[in-house]
Amino acid sequence: MNGTIENKGKALAAAAFAAGKFLSFYLSKEEYGIAILKVREIIGMVDVTPLPRTPDFVRGVINLRGKIIPVIDLRLKFGMEPTDYTNETCIVVVDVGREGESAVQVGCIVDTVSEVLTVESEQFETAPRCANAAGDYIAGLGKLKDRVLILLDIEKVIGDLNPALLGQVA
Amino acid sequence: MVLATGIENLQKVVERVRSEGQKAVADLVREMKALEQDASHTSLDELARLCRVGAETLQQLGLDDQSYAPHAEMVIEHLGRLVDFACACAVQSGKGGGVVEIVPPPLLTIPDPEEEKHFLETVGMFVSHAIGSVAELEEDILAVESSQDQVETIGGIRRVVHTMKAEFGVLNMGGPQQLCHQAETTIDACTEGQRGFPVDVMLECADVLKQFLDRLTRDARAEFPDVTMLLEKLRKIAADTGGATTAGPAGDEPRVHLEVGGEFADSLPEFVTEARSHLVEAEAAMLALEGNKNDLEHINLTFRAFHTIKGVAGFLNLTPLVELAHVSETLLDQARSQRMNFCQDDVDLILASGDMINQMINSIEGQPAPLQSQLKALVGKLQKASSREESAATNVVVEEPTKCEAVEDEVVPKPLPAAPAPAVAQPSVASKPAAEKPADKQVLKPQPKPSTAPSKDTPAAEDAPEHKAAKIERTVKVSTTRLDMLVDMVGELVIAQSMVLQDQAIQRLDSQSLARNISQVGKITRDLQEAAMSLRMVTVKPTFQKMARLVRDVASKSGKKVALTIQGEDTELDRNVVEQISDPLVHMIRNAIDHGIEVPDNRRLAGKNLEGQLLLRAYHQGGSIVIEIQDDGRGIDKNRVVQKAVEKGLLPAETKPQDMSDAEAFGIIFLPGFSTAEKVTDLSGRGVGMDVVRRNIEALRGKIEIESRLGEGTTFRMRLPLTLAIIDGMVVRVGRERYVVPTLSIEQSFRPGNDDVHYLIDRGECVRVRGTVLPIYRLKQIFEQSSGFDDMTEGILIVVEVDGDRSCLFVDEILGQQQVVIKSLGMQGDRVCGVSGGAIMSDGRIALILDVGSLVNSAVGVS
Repeated sequence: MNGTIENKGKALAAAAFAAGKFLSFYLSKEEYGIAILKVREIIGMVDVTPLPRTPDFVRGVINLRGKIIPVIDLRLKFGMEPTDYTNETCIVVVDVGREGESAVQVGCIVDTVSEVLTVESEQFETAPRCANAAGDYIAGLGKLKDRVLILLDIEKVIGDLNPALLGQVA
Repeated sequence: MVLATGIENLQKVVERVRSEGQKAVADLVREMKALEQDASHTSLDELARLCRVGAETLQQLGLDDQSYAPHAEMVIEHLGRLVDFACACAVQSGKGGGVVEIVPPPLLTIPDPEEEKHFLETVGMFVSHAIGSVAELEEDILAVESSQDQVETIGGIRRVVHTMKAEFGVLNMGGPQQLCHQAETTIDACTEGQRGFPVDVMLECADVLKQFLDRLTRDARAEFPDVTMLLEKLRKIAADTGGATTAGPAGDEPRVHLEVGGEFADSLPEFVTEARSHLVEAEAAMLALEGNKNDLEHINLTFRAFHTIKGVAGFLNLTPLVELAHVSETLLDQARSQRMNFCQDDVDLILASGDMINQMINSIEGQPAPLQSQLKALVGKLQKASSREESAATNVVVEEPTKCEAVEDEVVPKPLPAAPAPAVAQPSVASKPAAEKPADKQVLKPQPKPSTAPSKDTPAAEDAPEHKAAKIERTVKVSTTRLDMLVDMVGELVIAQSMVLQDQAIQRLDSQSLARNISQVGKITRDLQEAAMSLRMVTVKPTFQKMARLVRDVASKSGKKVALTIQGEDTELDRNVVEQISDPLVHMIRNAIDHGIEVPDNRRLAGKNLEGQLLLRAYHQGGSIVIEIQDDGRGIDKNRVVQKAVEKGLLPAETKPQDMSDAEAFGIIFLPGFSTAEKVTDLSGRGVGMDVVRRNIEALRGKIEIESRLGEGTTFRMRLPLTLAIIDGMVVRVGRERYVVPTLSIEQSFRPGNDDVHYLIDRGECVRVRGTVLPIYRLKQIFEQSSGFDDMTEGILIVVEVDGDRSCLFVDEILGQQQVVIKSLGMQGDRVCGVSGGAIMSDGRIALILDVGSLVNSAVGVS
């Protein structure tokens, strides 16, 4: 019983992902997408104050118009090679709200942002199950005419940010 | 004859007021005063009183056209009735005391726009709700007609009627209330007597109510039509069915059961907070009243508090609460209109009633409700107290006026407002049964007889407090989220402004007007920031007032006499801080009374005043707030404290009192589990309280000090930051990063010489500071930074203290001391090790604020 409900929930979530607009950006050579409703704003690279004793993908904190928000580097988060930041480097500020808690803003450092795309539900496909899938970061794939967009479940990507930080507390 | 001329003059001026409006009010006041003189000479007390109150009210009302205009109609109508009454009085006195009973018109009232506004709002709210209820009522009645055995629908009708009855009661609308009551009784009778439901009559009731409500929407003071016939019909039906008409007002609650209902259930949270603050006010007023039983202002204040609670509770269908508030109000009203003397028992009763209301309010939030029997008993007592009216007014005043009079004379020069406060409508009905005596009293007082005591009733002195009371500071309720948002945005503005100011491009421009404008913007920004910060500040007054009550209770429980003096209650603190000092204060005050202040006998032996003095005060000192609790009790016995601590194993056995400084010895009392009390009482003795005090204060980044002299008393001094949002910090630099170290935890800083630093095997680096060896922690190392000095002699050491442990932090440089706004790092849990938050510096970058405690603890592992 539970299983079916769960599956149904997943299917529903997938459908919600399917029918929407996505902000696409690049990390290395791959193009990724974040549901546009999660994106609050995009800013250029700014001075980041490092946070001591946090995982290295947590670059630190920035001052977003008087509010301090943490910034993570998605390259490092996904285990890619770090690169130097350029003029193209952007911080995508996303709203992450979990049940019962107020929304948190987190900045994600990406190589460059490209465009806002619509992924129709028939273009949507769930991600293939791979043996070494560490986290459930990928919500699905958007099969566009000439390329494939990797659609991220940003809630999950950010979701384990806090346990990671908390784990460091003595 | 004199009277006739007076009335004639008054009539003329009334004509003028009718045509000229506010301009003639001054003359009118003069005429009314003249008439009052005449009336009191001819011993027409009621008329004199009416004139006097009327004149006073007009004086306030007629100050300018704006405040007069909205009431013009009412004033003229009232004056017409006053003139009629005066004529009737004159005729009667001319006949030499007639037999005709003349009904005096109601007093001229409602000059208070606040009250009026409140009333209109209440009526408005009620009417919109009630119209719906009546429609529902009609529908239900018709439904019952179509099929007679709908028990549930009848129950519904009964509930609606009952609710409306209560609401009319709240609004002081006697007529409709009576109708609803009778209708309810009839319905009850019909259900009990298994009789058919009187559909026609009930529909008639609904119609009457509907019409009345319609009129209310147009005029909030519309009069209820005469429904004697209808009432009679209802009564007849009830009598026919043989049902006993026992249903008194709200007598049908089996136990205290508070269920929130009505359309306004949404406003419950506001009601709860509001009611609480009203209760606090009322309590404070009652305590103040203990000193001067006949201080009308305090009685009035309490009355208003209970009245408001009753009103709102009515809307929420909190019947038991309404009932209790109502009887309390009645008692207060008796005192207010001086129909009885307010005595100590009454104060106790009102306080008890306040407590019970508080308990009921708490029960709404899930705590246990008071017992029905308790409520009944209290209501009974209150009713008894207020019904002693006749005896008190007629006999007691004559027989033992000394008691009340003496108090008054002693207290003097404070002017007693002689008339019932003009703020609340005062129906004249009650003045009839208490015919002679109270009237005498009324006349005696206001007359400015130079022979009686100091002249406390000069008009000027009388007006002053009344005007003051009317000037209530207007407040608006704003959610804290919005406030925080505003404060945040102002913070951003300040930073943006300083960034603009420091911009190279702007500094290159050489324009006087630009410089002037920029400095103007800077000034406004600073003012704005200050104003925004002050929004979060509240006075410690409510918290201190709660303590007044506590002192009273604890003192009476422990059989001691304590006089509490409160100073600096207007001192402002951040609201978060204020909320959190309440607990520590409670513990400290209990301690001060239970342990500090001696029982009266011992005090006599020590040659002290029998009444213990407790001083609670708050003041600013150097950027922080100090709250002091000072008693003149026995003081802390250092030897005994140390001895006890040794006994309890809190100190090593060989500790000698003389080896310890006072501060160290007194610090022991904050240790958990420490108590000098021989017995654990319900007040104190478990050794938990002071530990709580210290923890709470430290959580607020405050400090506590004790000062005590054996036999002379003890002072507890709490030093608290003004706000939790701002921290006083030392900005330090390590490599290219800046950090803020809270100034509170810094003891000193110095640049070590080459020979000062030692390396201990297994222990890491240490430095000798004034004879003691302290461990050194390198911030660079702890925070795994790549930049920063390695050579100790290049940088600087900061000695920090955490929980009595001292250690050194090594940093590159101290940049300066500064107040910074603490911001969360935007992560849930929000705890990055060693960091308590971030601060945005003037260049827009972020400096981390160090949490020295966790930093040092974690560093022990690192180095």
